[in-house]
Amino acid sequence: MDLMNIIKGRRSVRSFLDKEVSREHLITILEAGIWAPSGSNIQPWEFILIDDATLIKKIKLLSPGLYGFPKALVILCVNKKKSEKAGRQGESLAVMDISMAAQNMMLMAYSLGLGSCPIASFNKLGLKHLLNISEEVDPVLMISLGYPSEWPSPPARRPLEEVVHLNGYGKHPGR
Amino acid sequence: MATENILEDENFQLLAFLLASARGCLDEPPIYGSLRLIDAAEKTINIIIRKFGEIQELSEIRKKIEKARSLVLADEEEFSKTLDEIMIDISKMIQKA
Ligand SMILES: Cc1cc2nc3c(=O)[nH]c(=O)nc-3n(C[C@H](O)[C@H](O)[C@H](O)COP(=O)(O)O)c2cc1C
Repeated sequence: MDLMNIIKGRRSVRSFLDKEVSREHLITILEAGIWAPSGSNIQPWEFILIDDATLIKKIKLLSPGLYGFPKALVILCVNKKKSEKAGRQGESLAVMDISMAAQNMMLMAYSLGLGSCPIASFNKLGLKHLLNISEEVDPVLMISLGYPSEWPSPPARRPLEEVVHLNGYGKHPGR
Repeated sequence: MATENILEDENFQLLAFLLASARGCLDEPPIYGSLRLIDAAEKTINIIIRKFGEIQELSEIRKKIEKARSLVLADEEEFSKTLDEIMIDISKMIQKA
């Protein structure tokens, strides 16, 4: 698939089929994650893969932003011991790093025919407790994964002409 | 009731959802408060219908909740109008009762 088609075709999917996702696909998606760029190549992330149905059910109870019944979840966490190596910027850089990994994973999922949704609306404290996540590790984002029961229509984007500034702020390129 | 089975209980699921939302709303955009409440309302309708059987008016409200959810991020004005419609529906139910 052409990269632009993958980028434009990916959607936040919020309803899933009751169809298993192979462990092989899930590992491929995680592999796409670890190949994301990161500030100073610190890779301040930990990815927790959840494919146990009961555990997913429990996580859903703590996650108002998790819609539908996905077959797997990836919990993307910042490892603060690692992120602090980047100095005072460490915390904000780590969020950027995680976001890049997340996008890699979601694009890979889409290229495998899987739907995904990034989810920030979950209770971090509750999740840390539920999954025995160490003190120095903070879950910041979750990705739900599964075969979509439908692909939603794409929400509108601000037009390129409005978002892009050419050779200085406020000067917009024509098409 | 054994707490091992509580995961399957829809009331418990609603309870956990409400508590997680109460905490989440402190950090999220104000309109997410409305979103969580309509999601909770939908869960409540499911519980009522499971208990009492099909209730036409509530099924209609559930459909409108679905519509409202799709509007939250896209069109706040339409979202607000849909919630007004839902309020008229529930008021009619209350009046009739
Ligand atoms: C950082 C971040 C957090 C998000 N959190 C949630 C969430 O908690 N629940 C949800 O349903 N969608 C969530 N989304 C998905 C957005 O609503 C979605 O990306 C946006 O509406 C655009 O739709 P699209 O992804 O289909 O292009 C999140 C997206 C991002 C980038």
